[in-house]
Amino acid sequence: MSGNASAISGNPQGAKGVLLDAVDVSKSVQGPEGRLDILTAVSLQVREGESFAIVGASGSGKTTLLGLLAGLDTPSSGHIALDGHALERLDEEARADLRRRLVGFVFQSFHLLPALTAEENVMLPLELEGRDDARARAREALDAVELSARRRHYPAQLSGGEQQRVAIARAFVHAPRLLFADEPTGNLDQRTGQHVSDLLFSLNQEHHTTLVLVTHDPKLAARCARQVTLDNGRVVIAPRASAAVAP
Amino acid sequence: MRLLTLSFRSLRREWHLPELRTLGASLVLAVVALGVVATLAARMERGVLASAAELIGGDLGISAPQSLPANYADQARADGLQVTQGASFPSVAFAHEQSQLLDVLATDNAYPLRGTMELSQGSGGSAVGHGPGVGTVYLDHRALVALNLKVGDSLQLGGRDLRIAAELVRLPDGGELVAMAPRALMNIADAEQAGLLGVGSRARHRLLVAGQPAPVSDWRNWVEAQTLPQGAELITPEQTQERMRSAFDRASAFLRLTALLSALLAGVAIALAAQRYARRKTNEVALLRALGTPRRQVLGLLVGTLGLLAVPSVIVGGLIALGLAQVTWSFASQLFSAIPTTLPLGPATAAAVMGLAVLAGFSLPPLARLAEVPPVAVFRESAARRVRRFDALYLVPALVALLLIWSQSGSAKLAGILAVSLVGVAIVAALLSALLLWIARRVAPGAHPALRLGLAALARRRGMSLVQATALSLGLVALLLLAIVAPAMLEGWRSELPSDTPNWFVLNLQDDQREGFEQALTRIGGNKLNMLPLAVGKLTAINGKPIDQMQFKDERAKDWADRQLRLSWASELPPRNQVIAGEWHGEHPPEAEVSIDVMWRDMYGLKVGDMMSFDIGEGTINARVGSIRKVDWTSFRVNFFLLFDPAHAASLPHTWIASFYLPRGHSEDLAQLSRDYSNLSLIDVDAMLDRVREIVNQVSGAVRWVLGFSLLAGALVLAAALASSAQERRHEAALLRTLGARRTQLRMAAACEFGLLGLVAGLTAALGAAGTGIWLGHAIFHIEHFVPPIGSLLLAAFIAALVVMVLGLAGTARVSRTSPMRLLRES
Repeated sequence: MSGNASAISGNPQGAKGVLLDAVDVSKSVQGPEGRLDILTAVSLQVREGESFAIVGASGSGKTTLLGLLAGLDTPSSGHIALDGHALERLDEEARADLRRRLVGFVFQSFHLLPALTAEENVMLPLELEGRDDARARAREALDAVELSARRRHYPAQLSGGEQQRVAIARAFVHAPRLLFADEPTGNLDQRTGQHVSDLLFSLNQEHHTTLVLVTHDPKLAARCARQVTLDNGRVVIAPRASAAVAP
Repeated sequence: MRLLTLSFRSLRREWHLPELRTLGASLVLAVVALGVVATLAARMERGVLASAAELIGGDLGISAPQSLPANYADQARADGLQVTQGASFPSVAFAHEQSQLLDVLATDNAYPLRGTMELSQGSGGSAVGHGPGVGTVYLDHRALVALNLKVGDSLQLGGRDLRIAAELVRLPDGGELVAMAPRALMNIADAEQAGLLGVGSRARHRLLVAGQPAPVSDWRNWVEAQTLPQGAELITPEQTQERMRSAFDRASAFLRLTALLSALLAGVAIALAAQRYARRKTNEVALLRALGTPRRQVLGLLVGTLGLLAVPSVIVGGLIALGLAQVTWSFASQLFSAIPTTLPLGPATAAAVMGLAVLAGFSLPPLARLAEVPPVAVFRESAARRVRRFDALYLVPALVALLLIWSQSGSAKLAGILAVSLVGVAIVAALLSALLLWIARRVAPGAHPALRLGLAALARRRGMSLVQATALSLGLVALLLLAIVAPAMLEGWRSELPSDTPNWFVLNLQDDQREGFEQALTRIGGNKLNMLPLAVGKLTAINGKPIDQMQFKDERAKDWADRQLRLSWASELPPRNQVIAGEWHGEHPPEAEVSIDVMWRDMYGLKVGDMMSFDIGEGTINARVGSIRKVDWTSFRVNFFLLFDPAHAASLPHTWIASFYLPRGHSEDLAQLSRDYSNLSLIDVDAMLDRVREIVNQVSGAVRWVLGFSLLAGALVLAAALASSAQERRHEAALLRTLGARRTQLRMAAACEFGLLGLVAGLTAALGAAGTGIWLGHAIFHIEHFVPPIGSLLLAAFIAALVVMVLGLAGTARVSRTSPMRLLRES
């Protein structure tokens, strides 16, 4: 475990500029009626600093792909490299190490801890790193999402939009190089969703973060530099530049 | 009906939920613990009564200073009971121109109705027998020796010549301290014809009955409805053998305490499980309400589901209780002979009902609040939480606990001590935990990163941490009381009757025999000799007013005034005596003083400073009540209700009474001693001591059985307390893993969190158990100088903390294996 963890120290074998590299990735599970293929031979590359959307209908395998790319799960076959580290060769502990250093997350249902205040939720990734300035940095992050006034509120006391802004502050607070967002506006109304996605993209630009976003919202996907479309676990429209990149 | 079907379906679908299983298991345990103990206690009570009946020779009787009217015996026979009549009196027997005062019991041939009378024909070996036939008499060894007689000889008693048909080896009441002189047993017809029972005789008449419990009880009710003749009193097994009675009372108090604590533990587990069940059901209830289900129906569905779980649980619990009680009884039954063998069903049924009350009481608050979840909670979870500063519903479990304590403890005092102690422990645990959380919040930012996570987790789950620490403390205090304090108390009680407790009493020792007897006793291996003077006299006046002109509310007062009293004197307060008013007189008080037992104070309404007058032999003594004593009558030492100061009493006519310990197997030596000192009465109390020891041992065994259930109940509380936050922890662990937390970080955090929680609970429980133990030891179990084993308690507290930590870690090991993917799936 520690051997694997110590091997993670940069971009040992990846192509220059490529932060995320997936080759022929498949995932299948054993269902009650035999084997079920969720993803079949998916390949894609995400370069440092770019924004990348995975689109598709419900059940097309988007979330599974996101989980595999983030190292939350391992593929049945194929190869994924994150910052040059072959994820399939790392155990869960080493992958957790990699996530802590490189990755941030924004979820559709926010996943804030209900017993923690907004500020404490944002402090979590820094506390995991054992940083002493966790509180101060968390306040800055909340400031950036304009929620300083509500830092002592608990998730249940915040609206959906506010909860997602706290989640975004938490995602950016430890300055990750790669941000995974799973339907970040899926639970929000159009106006709030717009506000949250604006925030996401502006922080992304400000921190030069690489963004991998799963959505079924074409408008949101269009704001990413590139996108790939999944259908029934297969890439139907290969990674390509979005038609329009909104500011 | 539809509701019942829905409830059944709901239970079937939810049966896999751990909290429902915890509820079921807790309920079964509560019923088993309460049921086993209540059934055992009921049977043991019957056993003790039956064995006391052996000692009085019947199930119930009446003792009177004159012959009883025939209707008492007629009514008993009409009730289908066996009857025996007799009388006891002192009389002088003559043989070979020698005379000897004998304690005579005149009986019919039916005596004894219970227990056995052992007779010997003089050729060694003994046989069981009944009262002697007309014209014959049985004499005990001392009487034979004193009159120089053997079986087959004749003697004159009451002017009649009687043939000695057998030597009396043992009477059912042989253990009682009443035999002042050697004993003889004669036929009542002979005694009547000899005029020994006529008016003016000093005979005490008695009628004994025996039979099935129901007719005996009928007869007792009938007797109690009559006006008994002057001076007559009921002889009940309950009042005889006070020492056995007190042993039994303490025994049942131990058992009840154990059962009670197990039931309360189960209650805590039920409360925690119900809380968790309610949390899990919140969304479902919100949805049902949103879909238009009325609140009443929601509540009905919840109650129905729990009811369907509860009914089989209490039935299973009741059956297990009966089975275990039967098994335990089969081991214990050698203790008592001739006892009713039916298995009483009442106590187990009552336990089942109490189990239902515990379930209802402890699960009602969260479930009743659950029914109040508004439909809007479907959209907004926070709407489901209605914050109340004070929720009166949560008084219900406290009330149920109090009722349980009250109904089970059988004593308001025990109930009070337990209730106050448990509430005290809960308050201290809550305060200590709050303090710990406050410290954690302040220390956390500067602590080691892993510790910081644990401290932060503890502090952030404030409410849950408080509930967990309090529940764990209550569970642990009950466990510690049962596992450490109760055995220590049992040991203390056992050590009150060490194996060298005096097992013989000797009466009628004369001044000039003291030294010789003491030396002879030492030669045959006797020790622990405790000798006190004994004078026999009558109370004649109180504060100058003649006693026969006084009226007393207490019926016993008149009786004691008619009796010959046994009086003594001492310069030092005897062991196991405690002065509760006035001052001990010492060696030379300026005027004659008497120290009285509390019973005398109560009977005659006496107080320190009152004057009492006694006729003793040819003289009289007027003594001032100098002190009032509380005497431990269970100590098997020579004790007196009335003790004078030696300076004023030593010249009164007296003999000596002594108790001593003689190891078993010295009967030959003792027979020789008896021949050498033929005027002495030697009384063997080994049989009674054995019985008391057996009860103590049997109870220790039974307590251990019940302790097993309590440990299970304790484990359930622990599991329920940990499970109550498991779901939240799993979600938190998945999120932390997603954010990159290492497994060791999660483990360290959990170890820190649970270790601190366990430490607070363990320390509170150790202190609580020690305090409650001291209180119980003094107030309920009357164990003097009981010191709770503080070292063991503290060690147990640390072990408890460790166990909580290890269990917490084990739970976290499962949690930390939760796939982080779960979070994305939950989206």
